[in-house]
Amino acid sequence: MLALAPDTSSQRAAAGLGGASPWSCWGASGDLVWGSCAGSGKDPYQVAVDLAGPAYRCSCPSRKFPCKHALGLLLNWADGRVPEQTEPAGYAAAWRASRSARLSAATAKTEPPQTATVKDAAAAARRSQQRAHRVAAGLAELQMWLCDQIRAGLSALPDTDRHQHAEQIAARMVDAQAPGVANALRRLSPIPVSGDGWPGRLLAGYAQLHLLARAYDHLGVLPPGLRAVVRSRVGFVVSREDVLASPPVSDRWLVLAVRDVDEPPIPARRIWLRGRDTGRFALLVLYAALGNFGGVTDATLTPGTELDADLHYYPGQPPLRAVIGSRRAKVATAAPPEAAGDVTTVLSSWAAALGQDPWLIEWPALLAGTPVQAGDRWHLADPSGAALPLLGLEPPWRLLAVSGGHPVTVAGEWSQGGLTALTVWHGDQAVPL
Amino acid sequence: MSYADLVAAATVGVARRPVLVTGLAGPAAAHAGVLDRDDPAVAVLDAAALLVSSHRAGVLPGTGMTPPAPADPDTVPELPASAADLLERASVAGPDLLADLLATAAASGYRAPAPMLPALLDAAVKHPALRQAVATVLGARGRWLARHRADWRNAIEAVAPDVLDDPAVWDTGNRPERHAYLTMQRGRDRQAARDLLAASWSEETGDDRANLLAVLAEGLGPADEEFLERALDDPKATVRAAAQAMLARLPGSAFSRRAAQRAVPFLRVEPGGPQYRLVVSLPGGVDGAALRDGVVTTPPSPAIGARTWLLTQLIAAAPLTEWVTRSGLDPQRLVSLPVAEHLTAAVHAGWRLATIRQASPAWAEALLTAGVVAEAARRPPAAWPRDQHVAAVLPPSARAALATALLTGQTNLRAGFATAFVCPGPWPQSLADPLIALLEEAFATGHWSGSPEGLLRAAATRLPATGPDDYATALARMAMFDACPPYWRVQLRRAARDLALRRAFGEEIR
Repeated sequence: MLALAPDTSSQRAAAGLGGASPWSCWGASGDLVWGSCAGSGKDPYQVAVDLAGPAYRCSCPSRKFPCKHALGLLLNWADGRVPEQTEPAGYAAAWRASRSARLSAATAKTEPPQTATVKDAAAAARRSQQRAHRVAAGLAELQMWLCDQIRAGLSALPDTDRHQHAEQIAARMVDAQAPGVANALRRLSPIPVSGDGWPGRLLAGYAQLHLLARAYDHLGVLPPGLRAVVRSRVGFVVSREDVLASPPVSDRWLVLAVRDVDEPPIPARRIWLRGRDTGRFALLVLYAALGNFGGVTDATLTPGTELDADLHYYPGQPPLRAVIGSRRAKVATAAPPEAAGDVTTVLSSWAAALGQDPWLIEWPALLAGTPVQAGDRWHLADPSGAALPLLGLEPPWRLLAVSGGHPVTVAGEWSQGGLTALTVWHGDQAVPL
Repeated sequence: MSYADLVAAATVGVARRPVLVTGLAGPAAAHAGVLDRDDPAVAVLDAAALLVSSHRAGVLPGTGMTPPAPADPDTVPELPASAADLLERASVAGPDLLADLLATAAASGYRAPAPMLPALLDAAVKHPALRQAVATVLGARGRWLARHRADWRNAIEAVAPDVLDDPAVWDTGNRPERHAYLTMQRGRDRQAARDLLAASWSEETGDDRANLLAVLAEGLGPADEEFLERALDDPKATVRAAAQAMLARLPGSAFSRRAAQRAVPFLRVEPGGPQYRLVVSLPGGVDGAALRDGVVTTPPSPAIGARTWLLTQLIAAAPLTEWVTRSGLDPQRLVSLPVAEHLTAAVHAGWRLATIRQASPAWAEALLTAGVVAEAARRPPAAWPRDQHVAAVLPPSARAALATALLTGQTNLRAGFATAFVCPGPWPQSLADPLIALLEEAFATGHWSGSPEGLLRAAATRLPATGPDDYATALARMAMFDACPPYWRVQLRRAARDLALRRAFGEEIR
């Protein structure tokens, strides 16, 4: 039983509640066990456990999951102290009802698609309605959680779960069908152990989630582009078929850079493209579902090659993520990009992009510059002397070797902290960094 | 309110210390009207969202960065991309193969492609044997890049120092620079270089003295004797050893005469009838002068008696010409003479040591051809220099001929393989063919004394990779012999792969 505890201190705490004394109004019926436990709060905590899951619910403010009250209740039940009842307590019954509704919705999602009928369309509309409600409820919960953090103070985080302080609320967001929010929470979960200045970084992360939740509250009145951004950041997925149905942008697309991101839950590859004629950037995101990119055709695109094809952008602004539609020619080695910008081009396009999507994390950069060392840090300085800090654990030796102290064309990802240089052109040759 | 104020409020907690969020800093100020007025926690989050967005969008570029002085333009072309791909594969395969391809590239007038330079410099740091080959393909760009990192710079300077023809280098330069300057001076004017070293001798550290004294080995002559003789009294052992090694190579030196006088009483050639023989007696001990000249009295192995070892030491120090002059016999004859009292190993060990010290090709050839001395088998290298060290005394051009003679004559195969091992590539066909034939025989029967790994590694980079004979196929075929042990198969396939890669590389750049 105690193996269910998240850590040893929970085990000790639960053992303390293993006696009958703090408990009242308890019972068990079928797979459901419930009880009220006197704690430090004004009202006793209401605890319920569904043995089939097992799943837990408790009104206490503990961040641990399951909390000591749920574990204590289980210990008592295992010792045969909890009496069988015919009817569960009101709160326990309500919790079980909402849980089974959620479970059946999840099951419905995995059911095989059937021929579209009016009835199915109606069912789909109902499901999407249900999801919208669930997401709204989840984001409301998120907003409360965020406010709770600000009220209690970031310094009040218990030492035991500083490195994963947002895991539980992230799990709730998965339940609420907002996986984009859940991933964002998981990314900021370890910030409290990330060294100096962490409160500033954590507050920034909270603020952006807060902004997203508030934007979702007003989804109906947002312009379509921004609405698509908000929905996508929350985690609504637009199907590939729907994207392919949107109007194509045809061009010769030069592969600027390829970056593998080994981020949970699935390793991904980002491929940055730029249209020869339109000058537009595009991003292909590929997932290695089986741990590698075998069988993913687009994964073979390498920097310096060119693809004559139709691209379809996902809804959202600025248009960036895309899928390849029909191809007109085989992928071939191509000339270096024309009209690489400078530091000002990168920063002003980034600022404009943030104006359209304030949650944007990375943005394509294509510029000419020279790697320069200043103190311990390396920068890419353009001919005007303006410079962007370069990210990376190692000094950019390969970039420096190709540059030789002269400006070179570099493609990469710009993000808040600096530029990740991914490709440099050595004469006509694209060299991955 | 600044972002720092918001962070402070959020860190403490607005429940513990209430705040009133008003007036935001920067561009966010215009939007302060949207802040939630009822709940301070929401207000903090609202304000933070505004400030974070404006900070993110308002990134300012760095300024005042001066780019490094650019690299000098290169006059030599970069390797073509197809050859560079092969070079990339070779760098994974191992340093020997990489060194060979780099040498081929340099000889054909190419330099390494810029994107490969960091990996090549890293390899030069890791494998000192690669440094020379890497240094030759760096070009102006590579030397420029190497100056950006201390480990790269040191690795390259160790083999290719930038020699500044400026006397100030001698006074102010670092160790490799001074060494390079002295070497240059020695090539120009032997005496001036020696005088330069003598003038600063008392101020040099022990390591510098040993390091710089070795420069005199180039163009060594009788004029250096006096200076070297004084170095025999140096407090630093490595300096004394360097002086002893050089004096031993001066046949007319007082050092050599002393050594000859010490050895002659214990080894003489006796014309007993038609058959000459070597008569040996064992020395009882030596004086302080012998110790000063570098005679080591402690045997390197407990299996060797102290007096036997002393005999070896005395012979090792004596000039080899002494035995030829006294007996009137050439080295070939001398090494074939029987030795009384089972002391063949002791005498031959002395000659082998002397051959290496005095760098005598005639004696090296005689000793390698003479065949095996059975008692020497268990001696450590200090008491029985290995065949390949003896063979290394021969000028590189003479090694292939001797190796071929030893391998085709089949009198002393072991010495033949050892000589081939120190023979620079590409091996002539006259050596490659008998070697392949012997390997074929060995792998067909599965009989080979010892491990062929070293020889196969050498073969992979030194068998000719051009011309009509495809030795890669020959090696790959041997790997399929039934009697070939699995471990050798791996070695053979690796050697065949390396050879094929060298051939492909050569074809790409020709």
